[in-house]
Amino acid sequence: MMYKLVLMAIACIFIGDAAYPQEDVPNLKDPKMIAAGHDLFLQKQCSRCHGEDGKGGVNLARRDLDPRGVFQSIADGRMGSGLRMPASRDVLTDEEIWKATAYVMSISQQAK
Amino acid sequence: MGKLIFAASLALTCLLSTATVAPAEGPGTEDPNNWPQYNRTSNAWRYSPLDQINKDNVNKLSVAWIAQGGDITMGIQETPLAIDGVIYSITSGNRVAALDAKTGQEIWNYQPKLDPLTKKVLFSPYSRGVAVGDGKVFIGTVDGRGIALDQKTGKEIWQVQLTDFANCHGCNFTSPPVVAGDMLTFGSTAGELATQGKIFGVEAKSGKKVWEFNTIKDDPKSWPGTSGKYGGGGAWMPGTYDAETNTVFYGTGNPGKDFINEDRQGDNLYTDSIVALDPKTGNLKWYRQEIKQDVWDYDSAYEVLLFKKDGKDLIVHMNKSGYVFVLDKNDGSIENIWPVSDLKNFVKDIDKRTGELIGRVELPMNQETLICPSTFGGRSWNSGAYNPNTGLWYNNVLDFCGYLKPVAQKDDPKDYGTGHIGASDFGRLVMAPDGRKPGRLDARDPFTGERKWTHEMDVPGFASVLTTGGGLVFNGDPTGILRAFDADTGKVLWSFNTGSGMRSGIISYAVAGEQYILVPSGWGSYAAILLPPLFPQLEKVPAASTLIAFKLPK
Repeated sequence: MMYKLVLMAIACIFIGDAAYPQEDVPNLKDPKMIAAGHDLFLQKQCSRCHGEDGKGGVNLARRDLDPRGVFQSIADGRMGSGLRMPASRDVLTDEEIWKATAYVMSISQQAK
Repeated sequence: MGKLIFAASLALTCLLSTATVAPAEGPGTEDPNNWPQYNRTSNAWRYSPLDQINKDNVNKLSVAWIAQGGDITMGIQETPLAIDGVIYSITSGNRVAALDAKTGQEIWNYQPKLDPLTKKVLFSPYSRGVAVGDGKVFIGTVDGRGIALDQKTGKEIWQVQLTDFANCHGCNFTSPPVVAGDMLTFGSTAGELATQGKIFGVEAKSGKKVWEFNTIKDDPKSWPGTSGKYGGGGAWMPGTYDAETNTVFYGTGNPGKDFINEDRQGDNLYTDSIVALDPKTGNLKWYRQEIKQDVWDYDSAYEVLLFKKDGKDLIVHMNKSGYVFVLDKNDGSIENIWPVSDLKNFVKDIDKRTGELIGRVELPMNQETLICPSTFGGRSWNSGAYNPNTGLWYNNVLDFCGYLKPVAQKDDPKDYGTGHIGASDFGRLVMAPDGRKPGRLDARDPFTGERKWTHEMDVPGFASVLTTGGGLVFNGDPTGILRAFDADTGKVLWSFNTGSGMRSGIISYAVAGEQYILVPSGWGSYAAILLPPLFPQLEKVPAASTLIAFKLPK
């Protein structure tokens, strides 16, 4: 039983990696990408909860974020601490989600 | 035999002495031990005539039981029902449960498998209540279905898909249906959605859809060009069923896009209105629009209260702007209009005779405009409560503002998580320019607006109020403090920290001769997301989904 669990855990790690291999992560520090991401951030009303500058009710500027985690949250939504963020997979393309990720990373604590 | 008679007499005496039925009779006192519908009675007063818990002993209240509602996503927003010793509750993800009202022990539960699209849409997965009738428990789901359950077992009896969920920008049900005789009426979300909000009439017995009423009038004068195609509206709070006239009254939602009226230069009927419908046919008997061509997100979806006064049948109805409309129940003609707060700048005033908006403030594109009250309104959707003994209507008042900034937006009913609002957000919230406290609990005459007392708050209330025959008013705040007030004076008589904020409906019921106060506690909703920049004390309020029942110790 334990052996199966370990195998499953290893498989999950690999599946997780395969979904977002490092080489597929675009350059999130590209200013054009960040600017396009900010436009999307406003158009898709991420600013509704996060504020126009990311310092709204759910404050992103204070957080130490991981780009893959940000991508995942935008794509599949997020629920935590009783709050809910709608999923955007198929509403936004992967390319658009990476742009929004680039903007979010640019304002997160890690960027500073 | 004599002993038996004596024992029976003694038992009867004991029963009567502990009975909690209020002696007074009249409107709002029927079925005193129960809370059988969203606003308790068909006049929507949220008044419980029970008086065992009163001004003299409320400070002795103690916890009788606690039950957990399950998933805490978006908190607990319901008003539970209490019928003949059973609590009917709905929590996040449309989980329905029946609980023993004496112990909180679960009797049954039911949870529908929801459409995965509910993860993407704007209004999900919360619900504000269930309805009960005909031996069934009825719910409206966050994927647009109506479902009937067996009241005793929780087994599903029927279900019907009512909204075109995938093609209507995720329009769905976040409130319970209304039981209107042998019909049910369901009002859909729509105000912030690229769709046309509907009210549906469904046979309670079979689930067969009989009619639908479109809250967007098919009229080019009201909606020029194609502006009505995604006009919004809807009716996202429960209506009021008046058996006397066989009418269901609904308040409707705002027009879309919320903050841009460039292409909808008509009155935008039937948004921000009260509509009086025949529940058998859905035929419109009359309507009264309260906010014409709204650009401030001032839905009129709130509760419709019914009164008989000086030989007149009246409606009292507040919309999100904070203006209260007093109307003739039979035709919607205006008797009076008054505001819950003087913190308002979207208009100079509303004409008390005609209802016309005087000196309205328009919103220029791409510029911020300060609008009071904010898009949370002069009051949120949580109902007030009217006490026939004091003649006062108790409401939470929100006294803060917001900067609104309209920006161009494409219509896209498949862009599920993005509101069809014509802005990047619902406004940057700010305190009132005059530095006043941001909220208060007000006690006012419902017909004139005259204020008897007020209780100011550092964080305004976002829960529905309860008032009782014991001369009490119960109100919960977002930090978790439940307070009991003297209904006559506003004096705080008791308070209790429930551990999470309240965004729900407090009720009272009696079982086995004991009165209970039942409080859903669990901070959530968009208020929990949007308010912290203005109220930093809310950042650390834990989420929850808890029912806490209080009673007097024996």
